[in-house]
Amino acid sequence: MTPELVLLVLAVVTALAFDFTNGFHDTANAMATSIATKALTPKVAVALCAVLNLIGAFLSVEVALTVTNAVIRIQNPDGSPRTELLTDGGRPLLMILLAGLIGAIVWNLFTWLRGLPSSSSHAMFGGLIGATIAGLGVNGVKWAGEGAKLDGVVGKIILPGLASPLIAVLVATVGTWLVFRIARGVPEKVMDKGFRWGQVGTASLVSLAHGANDAQKTMGVITLVLIASGHWVDTHAIPLWVKVACAGAIATGTWLGGWRIIRTMGKGLVEISSPQGMAAEASSAAVILSSSQLGFALSTTHVATGSILGSGLGRRAEVRWSIAGRMGLAWLITLPCAGLVGAVMWWIGTSLGPWLGPIAIFMILVVLSLWMWLHSRIKPIGHHNVNDDWEPEDRSTTVPVPQELVR
Amino acid sequence: MTQTMAAIDAVWKVLAIGLLLGAGLPALFSLGVRQLAVASEPGANAPLRRTLAWLAFSIVGGAVALGIAGIVAHGLGYKLFF
Repeated sequence: MTPELVLLVLAVVTALAFDFTNGFHDTANAMATSIATKALTPKVAVALCAVLNLIGAFLSVEVALTVTNAVIRIQNPDGSPRTELLTDGGRPLLMILLAGLIGAIVWNLFTWLRGLPSSSSHAMFGGLIGATIAGLGVNGVKWAGEGAKLDGVVGKIILPGLASPLIAVLVATVGTWLVFRIARGVPEKVMDKGFRWGQVGTASLVSLAHGANDAQKTMGVITLVLIASGHWVDTHAIPLWVKVACAGAIATGTWLGGWRIIRTMGKGLVEISSPQGMAAEASSAAVILSSSQLGFALSTTHVATGSILGSGLGRRAEVRWSIAGRMGLAWLITLPCAGLVGAVMWWIGTSLGPWLGPIAIFMILVVLSLWMWLHSRIKPIGHHNVNDDWEPEDRSTTVPVPQELVR
Repeated sequence: MTQTMAAIDAVWKVLAIGLLLGAGLPALFSLGVRQLAVASEPGANAPLRRTLAWLAFSIVGGAVALGIAGIVAHGLGYKLFF
């Protein structure tokens, strides 16, 4: 055992854990509407979504290796790590990745606990940016791209982050309005039955696109870890076991389902009917697919939430703006919060030395995750109660004490 | 500034495709559902309505299939459409 090996193993495990939370967090993007309208039972919905994410993950190979190049300067343009970060078996680079991913996971779990759909990509990039600032200074971050190619924090995160929910809201509003306008006078039962099919089809497309888009980010990070530590050389290919492990991690996360987020998106934001569900998922699918073709790096979560909101507006249904507002706030602070955790982890991890540092921050991650999981058990949400009626928030309600704490 | 312009360039394209496919296809699907509903009313030309309905559904289904093909092709490194 060497400290290099320990760091390598922890970085790979943490990356897979992030991939898991990525799937877990984003099940709602594709399946919240189908679950809310009962087009699919909750268990079938998450299973279908998991399978499609798995398939999608295997379909994605193209841009994975240069994933961090969008926002930070730890890789050369060809995907190989920068040589000055390769001392001590790649320790400087691995510490940045490990600390950044811990920041991303902590933020993902925290927003899950609060039932807030926030972008996993923003969390990952935020964590990496924070750890990079801590490790390499502000100049280690690529703040804006050069010329007309969208790049850097501004071009890859801020501008798409602002634009994509608005596009999705607009498309879904128009779609929903058209759907109800065209089908005016058709009995609701016929509508629901017909649109369930359309809904499942479009939701499946979103699941597949999610697997293809998101799993590759972790594949890229793990491959970078392997290259930096001297266990892989090819910058044009990803080791097969990495592909299999990442696909498995994202699919398992998806299958477990972030029920708290599914509930907020399916029941909390607006009341969804099947036609609205189809309009929302079609809007998400079209926006996600067309922008990934254009290299416009948007967040699946922002698009899906915008589409659901739009499907409520298009029908002039009640939108719970307080919840929408809280989500909007979560989006704004995702990047800085994950970044802050990432930076703090880097400081702790590097100041405790090569042996203890990585182990210490990994233990912090484990303890924080456990703590948040225990908190989630106070008011558990699962497939059994995900579709219960949304009750107005009442802060005076007494919280039932979980069984395991009573004993 | 050029970054903003590049973003606007991408935004209008995404918005245009979004409206065409993301709003257009559900609308077409809705047209199909409507034809099916009308077909079961008395005095309607049921076969014609049903044919129209299934035509609409097939176009939507075909578009979804193209979307899947797009993901596969993109994953294999081909660039489509643009």
